[in-house]
Amino acid sequence: MTDQSVSPAELKGAGEWLAVHGLTDVQPTPLLATRLAVRQRARLAAAVLLAAFIIAVALVYTFARPHGPAADGSGSYRHWSLLVLTAVVAGLVLAQSLLDRRVRQVDRRVGATLPRRAAHPVRPGWRTVLGRARAAFAVATFAGAMLLAIGALTVLDSTARYAALVLLIGLCGAAVVTVVQLRHVLTHPVVAEDEASLTTDVVMRVEDAREVTTPSLVWCLPVASVLDTVPGWWVFAWCLFVALSAVSLALITVWTGLAARRRGTPLAPR
Amino acid sequence: MIVIDSASPVPPFEQLRAQLARQIQDNTLAVGTKLPTIRRLAADLNLAVNTVGRAYRQLEEAGLIETRGPAGSFVSASGEQGRERARRAAAEYAEVIAGVGIDTDEAIRIVQAALTNGTAATPPSRLATSHLPDGGRDA
Repeated sequence: MTDQSVSPAELKGAGEWLAVHGLTDVQPTPLLATRLAVRQRARLAAAVLLAAFIIAVALVYTFARPHGPAADGSGSYRHWSLLVLTAVVAGLVLAQSLLDRRVRQVDRRVGATLPRRAAHPVRPGWRTVLGRARAAFAVATFAGAMLLAIGALTVLDSTARYAALVLLIGLCGAAVVTVVQLRHVLTHPVVAEDEASLTTDVVMRVEDAREVTTPSLVWCLPVASVLDTVPGWWVFAWCLFVALSAVSLALITVWTGLAARRRGTPLAPR
Repeated sequence: MIVIDSASPVPPFEQLRAQLARQIQDNTLAVGTKLPTIRRLAADLNLAVNTVGRAYRQLEEAGLIETRGPAGSFVSASGEQGRERARRAAAEYAEVIAGVGIDTDEAIRIVQAALTNGTAATPPSRLATSHLPDGGRDA
């Protein structure tokens, strides 16, 4: 039973989480505490994973970076490094999938202990969970970053082109991870026994979706590779892109928060 | 919200069917609403896929939902026709009741028994043997 495996600290954390999300009338249950605890651990592991990914990209770039005037031309490029980088990306996607799977397993285990199971007759779709504004933001962020990376490929300097290639592969990895995580957030089964736990399930999904679509990895990736090789205009364009994305994200967060307050629903996205 | 209580004596497929039917009939689920896929609802409610499939099939037979191939199952516009069918059946039932001389309270009890059992109720033996001309076989 979940009661035995839930620590008082986890229960207290669940109570705080409910208070933060304006669900003060909902009692923290072992079900909620267990689900939140596994998410917290998975989120921490995912953050470490992303940090490791950025370090790996930087290492691959540094060790395989072409040097000197002889660096021009495809022969001087260390193709193996791109293969290594692709393997690192695949490893990131796999590790993230395993983390998501672990969360699903715990959800399934605690769900199996419930004598009653509740579900929505109409499942909340991506518009409800993620919201159109955040979905558009996520797509625009990846599109903008890809465009800039492709823009860096047009630079004549071979070192810059190599760095741009590293950035492109990294961005593709980040995009795949985001899609995998979003799919998990949108499709994993509801674990609820009543109206209150059904509401907390939706709030948890919304929070997970927001976490997934915050482009922290996208913003960090150029630091690991391209910034010291690309021309000044590119660096300026990237800084402008990050600033605009950050402002957009802040505006969306404030707007959705106000909209939620107007509707009297916790974390309602649109 | 749909709730399946594993401790209930009512089978899970019937709990699901009844709750969806009620929500469709009281317009909580509007005409054209897309229902979750069988597989997904089964995962959400921790039920077997066949259990949810059976509930959906019965709702389909009752005209409350329709399945449009891979697009999924939707609340049917013929839900109103379903109500009309129920009204017609009730009128026919009332005629039978009047014809065989059963009083209203007893007629309502028969309907309640039928609804509780989820199938056509077997009328009380007193009815079947004493009031019906053919010994109750068609009741």
